[in-house]
Amino acid sequence: MDKFAILQFYGLIKREVLEHRNLFIGAPAVVALLLLVATTWAVTQVDESQLAEGLRYVSVLFDGLSPFDMAPFFMLLAVPFYLTLYVCSVIYLINTLYQDRKEMSVLFWQSMPVSNLQTVLSKIVTIVLVAPIFYVLIIFAMYLIAMVWLTILGISNDVDLVGIGYMFLAAIASLVLIYISAFVTSLWLLPSVGWLLLFSAFAKKTPLLWAGGVFILVGFLEDFIFGTQFLANWVASRTSDPNQYLIFEFQSIFERIFNYDTLFGIVVGGILIVGAVFMRRFTD
Amino acid sequence: MSNIVEAKSLRKNYGNFTALDGVDLTIPRGAICGLIGPNGAGKTTTLKALIGLCDVEGELSVAGRDPRIARHKLMEDVCFIADVGILPKWLKVSHVIDYVEAVHPRFDRKKAEKFLSTTDIPANKRIKNLSKGMVTQLHLALVMAIEVQLLVLDEPTLGLDIIYRKEFYDRLLNDFYDGNRTIIISTHQVEEIETLLSHLVFINKGKIVLDSSMSDLPDIYTEVLVDADKVAQADAVGPIYVRELLGKKSYTFEAVPREQLEVLGELHTPSVADLFVAKLKEEKHG
Amino acid sequence: MKDLILRSRYTLLVVTLIVYMGVLVAEGMITGREARVIKFENPYFDFSSTDFEGFRERRNDDEDSRVSFEDSGDV
Repeated sequence: MDKFAILQFYGLIKREVLEHRNLFIGAPAVVALLLLVATTWAVTQVDESQLAEGLRYVSVLFDGLSPFDMAPFFMLLAVPFYLTLYVCSVIYLINTLYQDRKEMSVLFWQSMPVSNLQTVLSKIVTIVLVAPIFYVLIIFAMYLIAMVWLTILGISNDVDLVGIGYMFLAAIASLVLIYISAFVTSLWLLPSVGWLLLFSAFAKKTPLLWAGGVFILVGFLEDFIFGTQFLANWVASRTSDPNQYLIFEFQSIFERIFNYDTLFGIVVGGILIVGAVFMRRFTD
Repeated sequence: MSNIVEAKSLRKNYGNFTALDGVDLTIPRGAICGLIGPNGAGKTTTLKALIGLCDVEGELSVAGRDPRIARHKLMEDVCFIADVGILPKWLKVSHVIDYVEAVHPRFDRKKAEKFLSTTDIPANKRIKNLSKGMVTQLHLALVMAIEVQLLVLDEPTLGLDIIYRKEFYDRLLNDFYDGNRTIIISTHQVEEIETLLSHLVFINKGKIVLDSSMSDLPDIYTEVLVDADKVAQADAVGPIYVRELLGKKSYTFEAVPREQLEVLGELHTPSVADLFVAKLKEEKHG
Repeated sequence: MKDLILRSRYTLLVVTLIVYMGVLVAEGMITGREARVIKFENPYFDFSSTDFEGFRERRNDDEDSRVSFEDSGDV
């Protein structure tokens, strides 16, 4: 790939991030702030000596253990961020090929030498690879603030700081796990990504209604035409277990990407994404 | 290739409405071509077809490419400014410049900034907070900094006040046009651009009604202020349009030799605006 | 053929959905797809804070099974 193509793609991603700062930076920042405020309030309800005891226990727990082994303990803290990212992703994907047609800026974007394929790919890369980076950075900032506070608490209560240090390292390691987990979940959800993009490009109004309505309709149609329910079964088998959306250990990454269901989902998502790329040509 | 646009039998339907009904168009390189027509005539559809924003039937070649097949490659050589403010509202001015610099291989940032320095547009403001005139100024500054072969303008000065309009055409002619680049402008404010044009195209109800270089016009079209006693004679020659002017009758003739018309009264070449009305009214009477 | 598919946004949508449905129905027929939850192993849901050392031993033994379909699971 030549240098210009790379710069071009970077320019496309930069535009996506700037245009959607609220979803990628604002939303997780608000969640982080709420968590810090809630924790601060909860802490004021507890006696300091009890807090120090708890901190001492945790410090002993983490002391000397590999951060990568201990990282999964922090995954639960990431759940509110995952939920936020999920909601923001739906908002982003359903609007991204619709909004610029509604406000006519599509004529500007299409007057630039950027192909429809590059446009759609840049949006997928933004949500799958780039948005989680911002979320992870904000979680990192949140952990940093918490760590400063815990260290102060530790120093004034004679708690072993080395253990706290190990805990912080585990928290940092969990950031890598959070990012990878978000990426793997995106792969798992690629059919949904493609579905939302397809209707974002297709709808003249209310794209979310179109996406939802046709989704239900297609399920009924299959039963009506073929008498089968494979589509409904497929969706049901892919959405009912929260384990499908989180990775808790580094060891499971390979299997989570390279298994039949994930790979088949990528094929299905690919079909819908190709539809979205061609749909982009209808700007009226 | 000496023609930047070659179009044959372009057709486009929106449901039951026929927007383009067999449009043939040839525009030579280096022309400043005015595409003039009433609302709904097919101006915007034609221009969008030229830049691949609208799928049409027929043969179409712009700057050597078919816009329906290679739109994004064509956009390296062609730029487009529309009547509505199409610059993205939520971006800052500096971000839009960054974006064009990143995606357009022929964009010269220094040139764009030089053009912008002569305006009042602040780099940190969001596009939605700029006045319509400033948005057009910005878009023109961006476009002029790109080495394009063809600039397509769809009613670019619509809704702008006179200062912005005048400045727009001044910049276009002085800073952008170099004899090699081609400009196609659609407008229904005919008087504003008729002195700029080298080439004239009238479109009405999806069909091309006139397609001529400006230099050929005086040879084809003549307006005669006919003396009262020569009216019957003038009628016999077959005008395309007749109207009252200062108590006399003004006849417009197409493809009639001047010598034949000299006897009828005072001759002159119709203005583009008058010719436009004449061709439209001729269409009406069939 | 391409002209027919790309005639309008509606024809393109219909064709895309036909391909989508076709692929899923075909896959369902070939693999006998049922509404069975695809389960991924996650030892941490069994984790109890009082049994930390024992848990770590168990987890290290359990490296081999990560993905499975549980027969007893249903939607």
